[in-house]
Amino acid sequence: DSHIQYERVGADVTMKCGSMDWDAAVTWTANGTDIDESHLNGSYLILKNVDLSQSGQYSCYEGSSWHLKYQTNLRVGTPPKEPVLMCRSNNYPKGFYCSWHLPTPTYIPNTFNISVVHGTKDMVCEKDAVPKNRCHIRYIQLFSTVKYKVTLTVTNALGKNFTTLTFDEFAIVKPDPPESVVAKPVPNNPRRLEVSWQNPSSWPEPESFPLKFFLRYRPLILDQWQHVELSDGTSHTITDAYAGKEYIIQVAAKDNDIGTWSDWSVAVHATPWTEEPKHLTTEAQITETTSASTSSFMAPPTTKICDKGAVVGS
Amino acid sequence: MAAPDSPSTALRRRDLCSRGIRLAGKMRADVVDLLDTYVEQQGLDASASVAAVEGVPLAAVERWDEQTGTQRLLENLAAYRAFRALLAQMLEEQREQLGEADAGLGRALAAVLLQVSAFAYHLEELLRLESRGVPSEEEDGPPPLPRLSLFEQKLRGLGVLRELAQWAVRSARDLRQLAKPSPATGTGPGLAESP
Repeated sequence: DSHIQYERVGADVTMKCGSMDWDAAVTWTANGTDIDESHLNGSYLILKNVDLSQSGQYSCYEGSSWHLKYQTNLRVGTPPKEPVLMCRSNNYPKGFYCSWHLPTPTYIPNTFNISVVHGTKDMVCEKDAVPKNRCHIRYIQLFSTVKYKVTLTVTNALGKNFTTLTFDEFAIVKPDPPESVVAKPVPNNPRRLEVSWQNPSSWPEPESFPLKFFLRYRPLILDQWQHVELSDGTSHTITDAYAGKEYIIQVAAKDNDIGTWSDWSVAVHATPWTEEPKHLTTEAQITETTSASTSSFMAPPTTKICDKGAVVGS
Repeated sequence: MAAPDSPSTALRRRDLCSRGIRLAGKMRADVVDLLDTYVEQQGLDASASVAAVEGVPLAAVERWDEQTGTQRLLENLAAYRAFRALLAQMLEEQREQLGEADAGLGRALAAVLLQVSAFAYHLEELLRLESRGVPSEEEDGPPPLPRLSLFEQKLRGLGVLRELAQWAVRSARDLRQLAKPSPATGTGPGLAESP
């Protein structure tokens, strides 16, 4: 009768060889390897202070006939600690999602159960196929002063734990970062950079639920950011850039009335327009430079999209 | 179906809506500040759950996005008229309890009451703009408020300010809906149609 046996790390485990007597001659194997007699007490297998490495298939055979008398899958693990739960609305006013994880692994399967209550109403939390530890709740009511209560319970063979979050509708509104951030030099303006971006695509109704933005920028050579808050529109011209210095620029978003700021967008780099250097040249070079300079007059944007940059609040 | 707007009406509505949005934003900021002061000075627990208090208009609404413009304005107007009466009652009770002991809270309450009254008038203007009948005060006026114990008065005050803070956000959203140009004509939709 092969089955799964769960034991806590550090436990002492005794296995009987099925219905065999204590004094019967038997052989025990772990994952097909014979186990040393020192672990036996008669026909019982004794495992002291088990650890994760001792998880595996244990089999017991009758001494002479080698009949398999007992088999089990030993799974060594831990009971779940209090799960970490986070709820957030990045698509207000459509709904919000909750996601969770365990602070430490348990090494054995866990099941999660989430309940969402708004006042006295139970709400459905539709689980995502992937990632598994997330589900979505649709707002039925808006502008409610009644708090939401989310309780997440985690259970495994060795124990159970839970955590609860209580929050107001507005408190968890946090948009995703702005997208498609672009920064360009402004021809003939050595101290300007033109920055544009788009509302996060996950924000469903920017017209009715407008976002405001926070722009931060600094030359790479300095650590101090400069900030500007913009209550509408999705572009801004930096007018105080240091001439010729490469800049790093990021944008964050927030609902105009409620909630908290998004993380910072992906960082973009740009360098303000610079004058083409003038040379003392011969007749030939002048004609050559004249034809070249009309094409180089529009300095190509030096925008480079970088990997994810610094994050708001970190 | 109401005929779509004339450009001048649409422009006038857009102006009234954007001023109303700013007023709602200011009102909310002041109410949130007042709420903090009120909780502290009345010795209440900021996280206390306050059951729906009789006579206090709830901002919570289902299928908000399906409301017509008229519904939005009428519900807003009814709510702010009720808040006007509730805040006036709070102010009176507050003076009875504390006299001049806490003039600061009284002044803050009076300032919010002023804004609520101004906002109610603003909503009436919007309704008049749409040649919509503005409900008379009796028709729309809040029921007389029951006399409560001191603690019940404090809890009701907490409920009033919390709901008013939510209403201020809802009103800004409602006015943004109203200000949206109609896709067809590019001018404001007739109120009955605007979701």
